Amino acid sequence: MDKNSIIVSSLSKRFSFPVKDPSAGWLRNIFLPRTKEVKAVDDITFSVQAGERVAFIGPNGAGKSTTIKMLTGILFPTSGKASVLGLDPSKERKQLAYKIGTVFGQRSQLFPNLPLTDSLEFFGVMYDLSAKEVKTRIAELVRTFELADFIHQPVRKLSLGQRMRAEIAASLIHRPEIIFLDEPTIGLDVVAKKSLRDLLLKINKEEKTTIFLTSHDVGDIESLCERTIIINHGVLVKDLPTRELARSFVRQKNIDVTPETAFEEFPELPPGMHYVLRDRNKLTIAVDINSITVQEALRRILDIFKVDDIDVYDTELETIIRNIYESHSTRN
Amino acid sequence: MKAIRPGIKLIRTLVRDRIYYPGRLVVDTATMVARCGVLLLLYSYVFRLNGGTISNTTFTIAAWSMFFYFSFSILRLRDLSQAIMRDVQSGNVEVLLNKPMSYLAYRMWWQLGAGLYQFGLISVLGALVLAFSIGLPATMSAAVFLPTMIAVVGLGILLSLSLYAVVGLLAFWVEDITPIYWIVDKAVMLLGGSYLPVALFPAFMYKIALWSPFGASQFITHTVYPTWAGEWPLKLGIQAMWVVLCAGLATLLFLSAKQKVSVNGG
Repeated sequence: MDKNSIIVSSLSKRFSFPVKDPSAGWLRNIFLPRTKEVKAVDDITFSVQAGERVAFIGPNGAGKSTTIKMLTGILFPTSGKASVLGLDPSKERKQLAYKIGTVFGQRSQLFPNLPLTDSLEFFGVMYDLSAKEVKTRIAELVRTFELADFIHQPVRKLSLGQRMRAEIAASLIHRPEIIFLDEPTIGLDVVAKKSLRDLLLKINKEEKTTIFLTSHDVGDIESLCERTIIINHGVLVKDLPTRELARSFVRQKNIDVTPETAFEEFPELPPGMHYVLRDRNKLTIAVDINSITVQEALRRILDIFKVDDIDVYDTELETIIRNIYESHSTRN
Repeated sequence: MKAIRPGIKLIRTLVRDRIYYPGRLVVDTATMVARCGVLLLLYSYVFRLNGGTISNTTFTIAAWSMFFYFSFSILRLRDLSQAIMRDVQSGNVEVLLNKPMSYLAYRMWWQLGAGLYQFGLISVLGALVLAFSIGLPATMSAAVFLPTMIAVVGLGILLSLSLYAVVGLLAFWVEDITPIYWIVDKAVMLLGGSYLPVALFPAFMYKIALWSPFGASQFITHTVYPTWAGEWPLKLGIQAMWVVLCAGLATLLFLSAKQKVSVNGG
């Protein structure tokens, strides 16, 4: 990891679109419509090194997909600069296309009515591979992505999990240096998600492909990405190693308490502690560690309840991410 | 060669697919028989009522002219507009925009490939049926016929693709291009000679058919007329002019459309 694959500097994208003005006449609404401007991405700066696995996350409408589309040359930035593998995506889109792969989880680049093999062969030709190279690469991808069972089936007849594996295989036909994935696991079951994550890790390890991924699935981030960039309202909020995400933003510990005999009463807790779950056979208490230490919280719990077992654990990454989104929304 | 290799691959893939799955061929053959066959039966009756000739045109010439129109329409180049509109409306255009092949070229090659097999097969079979049933007009045995017909088909394909691409690309500005598509398509049908052979047009309408891109895209229907031998340089020139203008306009629109891309989630 010694060179930058992606360099983004003060990148912004604004969309403007006409909005109907109920107070104006229809003629004015057609010819002189009122326009509304939305800042989809607002002055973001970051870089990604070759071979990194980066999660680019944020709530709906945060600007994730817009950023990916600017980095792949689909959308043109309003201001700022982006450089992907030394190329300007908005000006050198075609040259860049040979070096990157893209997968949009909610869209398909494959021919729906034709066998998968036709799509793979076509992509090979489109990326200027020779007939021999196409054949060899398809054989590699079929082996890696276990496509053999369905490679001759029309794409529309594949399951979602099979299709996503095929989509990623197709985007890797030309051995891109970076693969951009926009919500690749959306709609997949847990088995298919794990299989896809394992495949991406394998590609990253074996072919040194940089992975730049957006997802709402915490599992994708935890198991796949070593670094997480958080964006909200078009603004870059956090950029840090994924393992530090939990460490840096844990403001809350959870304590599960199992009673000696069933709980009868649920007395008021000291400040900094509150019930998450109140059940006769189990309590879950959240502790704000900025207000009260875990040691003090445990002591208080033991004073109040007769306890058979106790378990202290960190807040899940999903909750941490939600807290980051919410705290940023509040600040806005 | 490098630039057209993906296009040729696309055409080969689609032709192979249509051979494996002949459903489309059956549908297109049935459409051809229904539309062209019924019209020709009606026209044969009308020509008989007029003693076999109308406005110095024999039924054989009118029938071949109309057959050429319907045969050309099997290429379904008009579907290009709808395909572009669907891509824009669904947002699927984004997965095709970041490929090393131009989106517009991809869609044009696709459209050509999707209809080529049916076009080739039905045209040959239809021509044989027509040749054995009503015979060939003398104009088709002229030396100039075959080379100029190949040229007029080639230019007609380019013009149709460019014309329907212009209509389809308007989807980047107006969400639903169906009304525009409907007007253009009906203009092509009318001025191309699908309802009435061009030779029977009143003078003013013939002029419109001659000088508009809609009529020019269907000049294949003019190739069987006795006047073709003297008019083909002008008509090929008109076609070439419209190809340049429409392809230029489509390119400009596409360049502008790329700047306008705005799809769901970005």
